[in-house]
Amino acid sequence: MALSTRFLFLVVLLLPLTGTAHVNSPDVYYDGYAGPYHLLVTLQPPAVVPGVAQVQIRSVTNDVSEIKILPLRMIGVGAKMAPLPDPAKRSANDPQLFTGSLWIMVRGSWKVQIQVTGQKGIAQLDVPLPAVSTSSQPMHAGLGILLSVLGLALAAGWIGIIVAATRDAALNAGERPAPAQTRRGRIGLALGTVIVITAFILGNQWWGSEASANDRLNYRLPNMKPSLAAGSLLRLHLENPNEAEPTRFRTEQPDRIRLDDLIPDHGHLMHLFIVRMPDMKAFWHLHPDQTQPGDFAVNLPIMPEGQYKLYADIVHHTGFPETQVATVNLPAVTGERLSGDDAGSFDMAPADKVAPLSDGYRMIWQRDDLFSKDLSSKDRPFKANQPYWFRFRIEDKDGKPVTDLEPYMGMAAHAVFLSTDGNTFAHVHPAGSVSMAAVNLAEGRSTKAGMESMEHTPSSAEISFPYGFPKPGDYRIFVQVKRAGKIETGEFVAKAE
Amino acid sequence: MSTITATSNISTPNTLSQAEAVPWLVWANVIASISIATGLYWDISWHETIGRDSFWTPAHLLIQFGAVLGAFGSAWVIMRTTFGGDTHALIKDDRRNSVNVLGFRAPLGAFIAAWGGGAMLTSAPFDNWWHEAYGLDVKIISPPHMLLALGIAGIMWGGAILAASYLNRADGEQRVKLQRIVMLLGGFIVIQTMTLKLEYTNRVLLHSSISYMVMGIGTLLLLEGLARVAGHRWARTIMTGIYSAFVLILMWVLPLFPAQPKLGPVYQDITHMVPLPFPLLLVVPAFFLDLLLPIFKDAPKWQQAVFGGVAFLAILIAVQWPFATFLMSSMARNRFFSTTDFPYFALPTSPTVRHVFVHWEQTPLEFWRNMGLGFLFSVISMWAGIYWGGWLKKVRR
Repeated sequence: MALSTRFLFLVVLLLPLTGTAHVNSPDVYYDGYAGPYHLLVTLQPPAVVPGVAQVQIRSVTNDVSEIKILPLRMIGVGAKMAPLPDPAKRSANDPQLFTGSLWIMVRGSWKVQIQVTGQKGIAQLDVPLPAVSTSSQPMHAGLGILLSVLGLALAAGWIGIIVAATRDAALNAGERPAPAQTRRGRIGLALGTVIVITAFILGNQWWGSEASANDRLNYRLPNMKPSLAAGSLLRLHLENPNEAEPTRFRTEQPDRIRLDDLIPDHGHLMHLFIVRMPDMKAFWHLHPDQTQPGDFAVNLPIMPEGQYKLYADIVHHTGFPETQVATVNLPAVTGERLSGDDAGSFDMAPADKVAPLSDGYRMIWQRDDLFSKDLSSKDRPFKANQPYWFRFRIEDKDGKPVTDLEPYMGMAAHAVFLSTDGNTFAHVHPAGSVSMAAVNLAEGRSTKAGMESMEHTPSSAEISFPYGFPKPGDYRIFVQVKRAGKIETGEFVAKAE
Repeated sequence: MSTITATSNISTPNTLSQAEAVPWLVWANVIASISIATGLYWDISWHETIGRDSFWTPAHLLIQFGAVLGAFGSAWVIMRTTFGGDTHALIKDDRRNSVNVLGFRAPLGAFIAAWGGGAMLTSAPFDNWWHEAYGLDVKIISPPHMLLALGIAGIMWGGAILAASYLNRADGEQRVKLQRIVMLLGGFIVIQTMTLKLEYTNRVLLHSSISYMVMGIGTLLLLEGLARVAGHRWARTIMTGIYSAFVLILMWVLPLFPAQPKLGPVYQDITHMVPLPFPLLLVVPAFFLDLLLPIFKDAPKWQQAVFGGVAFLAILIAVQWPFATFLMSSMARNRFFSTTDFPYFALPTSPTVRHVFVHWEQTPLEFWRNMGLGFLFSVISMWAGIYWGGWLKKVRR
C-alpha cells in the first residue's frame, strides 16, 4: 500500500536513463582494501530499478567487528550527501562473511560505500555499482488467480451496490420495491455492468501502456556497426539505444547516456575484444581510436577468415560502463603487426589447467578457491552466481615462478570470461569486474589523472581475479599478462552448473 | 449493537429516534476515514523524508487499520443483518431498513464501505507485485494505487452515505449531530481527492492551467452533493475548512519530528519530517458558493450548475494564482508557509527548489484549451453534484 510522492515533474527530472556493464554478467565482484582491511565484495544489482541490490562482503582477516553499507551516486550532489547507513549482518556460520541489501532508486552509475570498524580502527571502501532495469517480472499464476477472483468479487459487489442504490435505497422501512423501482434497479444493473466493463477495458489499456513504458526503460544492449575499410581498417559506429527520451520540460539530464562523454579506462577510450566463433581459438585485445564521437577505428592484425564476435568496452563520464557488441564475418585480413598495448593470437590452445606461452613459458590455473567453501574438489564444475577467486601462476620453462611480470596497461593482468555461445562476456581485472575508470571516480580520483594512480605492479608470479559465472554453461577464460615487454595470453576452459 | 429504534409499524416512515446515539458503524467509518487520511499524509511525508518503508511503518498501519475497521465493521453489520434471525428487535429493525446486494442485507453505506475495504485489501498484493515487476512506485497515479484510492473512497463515501441515510430519518439534535458527521466525512473526502491530485497541484504548476483543470474535476460533485444532503448553511466552507485545517496542522506538526533519509540518492540535507505543501485555497470559493448559491435556489438546475461551476473555478483561480506567486517569493520561505522543505530526492536544480514555476502547457493554445476544459469539468461536476445531492437526500436505507 505504499504511496510514493514523486511528483510527475520531479520524476521526469530525477530519473535518468542509463545502461549496464559487460554482457549478461551484471554482478560486481571486487577485491579491495578498506584501509587495512582486505575485503572481497559481491554486489548483485536489482533486475528492476528501483529495486534492492544484494551485498556480500567477505573479510579476508578476522579483525573486522562491524560493517555498514550505504548507496551513493557516483558523481554530482548525490555522491556527497549520504542516506543513513545500514548494518551488514554477520553470518552466524562464517564470522568473516557479512551480508546486506540496499535500495537502488534510479538507474545509472552508483557506488556502494562500505564502512568497516575493526581492531585496526575505522576505514572505508567505495565499490562502483552500475544499475539498470533489465526485465519485467511476469505475474505468478497463483497471484493472477487470486487477483482475478478478488477482481470479479469486487465487480459483482459493485454491480450489486448500484442495483441496490437505484432500487432499494430510498424505500421506507419494511417497504418492498414497487415495479417502478424494480425497473430502476434493472437500469442500475445495466449501468453498473457497463461501468465495470468500461473500467476493466480502460484499466487494462492503462496497465498495458504502463507496462510498455516500463519496457522502454529496460536496458537494451548496444549493437555497434562494424565495417572493414581500406584493407585492414576496421571502423566501428557505436549505437546508443538507451538515449533518454526528451522530458516534458526539456530538462537536461546529467546522467543520460551519450556517446560524446567517454573517459579513458586504463589509458584507452575503448577496449575491443575480438573472438573467432565458434572455436574461440583466435583472440585479440585491441584499442581503437575515436575518430569522432560515436565512431572508432583500428587497424586489424593478421586474421584468418571467419566469423568473429566483437565486444567493445567503453566508460561514460559518470563511470557507467557499457559493452557494445557485434558479430561480423571477415575475410582473411593481411593486417598490421601488433604494437603498443594491442595483443592476441589466432592459434590459441584452450587448456584445462596449463596454457602454453611463448619461449616455453606456461600459465597454470590454480583451480582451488578462496571464496567458496562448498567447492571442495577442484575437478567439480563451478556453481553459477557464486564468487570465486581465479588464480593463475606464470612459470618459466624450468617450472620456476617468473620474476619479470610487468604492469599491462597499469594492471597486473587482464582477463575475459566468455561463454562459448558468446552471449556472456566480462572484462575482469585483479581488482574485480568493475572498470578501473569507475574505481577512480568512486575513490574520488580524477579519471584524467592517468594510470600512475592505479599502477598495480605484479608482486609475484601469481595473479588472481574475483568473478562468478552468471549462469550455468561452458566458458572460456582469456588471461593476459605482460612479461619481458611482451603481452602473453593464456586460454582456459571452464564449466559452471 | 445497533442503535436504531425498533418499530413494528410497517406503514410508518422509518425514523431515527432522537434518544438514540449515532450508530456505531457511522463512528467506525469516521475513525477509519481519519485514520486513512492521516496515514496517507504521513506516508507521503515518509516517502519524501525517509524514503524506505515496510509493511509495518506507522503510516501504513494507520491506513491498514482504517481498511480493516471499515471492511470488518461493515462485514459484521452485513452478516448480522442477513443471518441474525428475527428474534432480536434491533436486527429485525435493521433488516427492515436494509438494501439487498446479491442476497445479503444491510444499509447501503455498509455495503459500500465493505466494498471499499475489500478494494483496499485487494490493492495490497497487486501493488506489491507492481513494485516487483516495475520497481518501487515512483508516482501516485498507478493502477494499483487507483484501486487503493477507490477503496478509500468506498470507505469514506460508505460512511457518508450511511450517515446520510440516518440523517434523512432523523430530526432535532440527532439531525444536527449527523449533519456534522456528514460534513466531517465530506472534509476527509476532500482531503483524499486533493491527495490524489497532488502530482498536478504542486506549487510549481500553479501558473499552468493543468492544475486548475484537475481542481475542476469532481471537486464540486462531492462538495455540492454532500452540502445538499447535510443541509447546513456553511457546509461547503466547513468541508473545505476541515481540509485546510488538516493539511495545515500536519504541515506544521510533522517537521517537529527529526528524521533522515534511508534511501539515496540524497540531494537535500534533511533533518526532520518533510511536510506536504500549503493547502490549496479551496475554502475561498467554497465560502462564496455558500454565500451566493441560496440566491439561485429557485433557478433551473442547469443555471445553478453553470453559475456554481464557473464561479467556483474563477474565484479559485483569482485567489490561488496570486497566492502561488506569493508562495514562490522570499516572504513565504518560513515555517508558516513551509516552502523551504524539499523531498530528499529533489535536485538542487529542480524548479521546486529554485522556487520557479514550470509551464506545463507549451503554447497559449494548449493553455487556454486546458483552462476551458477546467471550466467545462467544473460545470459538469456542479451539475452532477446537484443531482448527486438530490439522490443523497432521498437515501433512507
